Amino acid sequence: MPQIKLQSSDGEVFPIDVDVAKCSVTIKTMLEDLGMDEEEEEVVPLPNVNSAILRKVLHWATFHKDDPPPPEDDENKEKRTDDISSWDADFLKVDQGTLFELILAANYLDIKGLLDVTCKTVANMIKGKAPEEIRKTFNIKNDFTASEEDQVRKENEWCEEK
Amino acid sequence: MYSYIFRPMKTALKVSEIRNILNTNPSMPFISKDWRSPGEEWVKTEEGWEKKKVLEHCKQIKYKESNEDEKENINNSKQTSSSHQPHCHITVKSTKEIAGFNELDEAVKRLDFRNAVRDVRRFNYVCALLDHLIGQQMTNMSGCTQKALLAMLEEVARYATTSQHNPRGFRRLLNKLRALSAAERSACWGGPLGSQLLWHQNTAKINRILNMGSEFQIQEPHPDLHPKLLNLPEECIREIILRLSDHRDLTASAQSCDQICTIVNEQRVWRELAKFHFTPQQIELVLPKDTGKIDWKTVYNSLKKTYGLNEERQYAEMLSLCKYCCCLFWKSLGHPCIAEQCPDFRARLQEAGGITPPSPVPPSAFLKLFSL
Repeated sequence: MPQIKLQSSDGEVFPIDVDVAKCSVTIKTMLEDLGMDEEEEEVVPLPNVNSAILRKVLHWATFHKDDPPPPEDDENKEKRTDDISSWDADFLKVDQGTLFELILAANYLDIKGLLDVTCKTVANMIKGKAPEEIRKTFNIKNDFTASEEDQVRKENEWCEEK
Repeated sequence: MYSYIFRPMKTALKVSEIRNILNTNPSMPFISKDWRSPGEEWVKTEEGWEKKKVLEHCKQIKYKESNEDEKENINNSKQTSSSHQPHCHITVKSTKEIAGFNELDEAVKRLDFRNAVRDVRRFNYVCALLDHLIGQQMTNMSGCTQKALLAMLEEVARYATTSQHNPRGFRRLLNKLRALSAAERSACWGGPLGSQLLWHQNTAKINRILNMGSEFQIQEPHPDLHPKLLNLPEECIREIILRLSDHRDLTASAQSCDQICTIVNEQRVWRELAKFHFTPQQIELVLPKDTGKIDWKTVYNSLKKTYGLNEERQYAEMLSLCKYCCCLFWKSLGHPCIAEQCPDFRARLQEAGGITPPSPVPPSAFLKLFSL
């Protein structure tokens, strides 16, 4: 199995199977565009991902490398936020900082599956909460003035009508 | 069931003998009113006695056996936990006579609902079911059903408070629970109370659940954690917002801060929400006829008013009903199906035009199978 070396922002080098690395569309297109030779001992620098997160991402990618591509016809899949496999649910039992770093890494490396499952996890944290609770959950500062807040509430009042 | 032992029997048991049976035999033979019938085998669980056949597919069987057996049991359960398929045969076309045999508490135990609560994919389905069941009407249900439902609710409460998942749904359930305990308190002699002992236990459980509810608080993350939600680039926050499937969640997040408010008010968010909940034909009918600017928030709103929301799309996993063996089961776990086990039957089905897949059972349809 051909391997590739990925270097995190803090300089750690991760040797990894090319198949696993190709989960990332960013790396895949780069390999195709540059036509990297398999024998070449080139190191791919990933300046936006630190080693702790890269290790987690590679862990995820290794587990999911044989996943069949998602069926095209099921457009509703995206919104079913609790559709998270138990392995992924366990994998994502991490603190918020790590979770958001994983989103950033998945976005940068263009790993659709990882982005999907991390965003679903965050969406689940929003689900069923009142505005004040959402602020509390994510440490968000209320930046509305009293009148603005009133305005937003009014705009959204129609939702409560039955 | 103890009373059955003291019913007329050909060979009366002495009290000491009965005590022996109760203490030593974990699965005691059921001695029916008609002593000639083979009866049921009963197993003692943490929550009292239960028919062995009901527990067969659950992980929860706890035999009170000697240590060696226990070890073996643990080993076995580890091996079988992967192949463990809770399922429940059911009479679909229910008549008055048959309805008595479709018992909700049995189905709930056979389908292993208590463990389903801990599965993030099935949690919302279980909550929706409880939402239909918990409340005043529970005083009309059998004692066993009450007990099973409250046990399920306690599990839900434990999960909801530790994972902070969906507080709105949890609070709804708590309100219904309050209605139940009010109904029980206002019941007088001859009322719908049933066994007093059972209600003592139930009340203790209800109070425990309500306590969990009142102690529930959102845990704030450590203030130094980095990055925070708002540190993410806009496209990532949008990805998250696009995954919300409930308009109430969208409006709540819009009210939390300015940055999210801007994203929620984008047309794309509401267009995709409308496309998630409604078919293209439905949307076509509601769209304004003139080719002016479409406001998808208004479109969604009128669609919601006209058609209502379809509950089936919202669960990651539902119970399924197999047409051939009339068997309810969890889709991801599967069930031992007659169409797979019996080659003859399978061949005949294929001749008749292939095997039809099991149909999903939304919560309301599930409840229709029982006489409540």
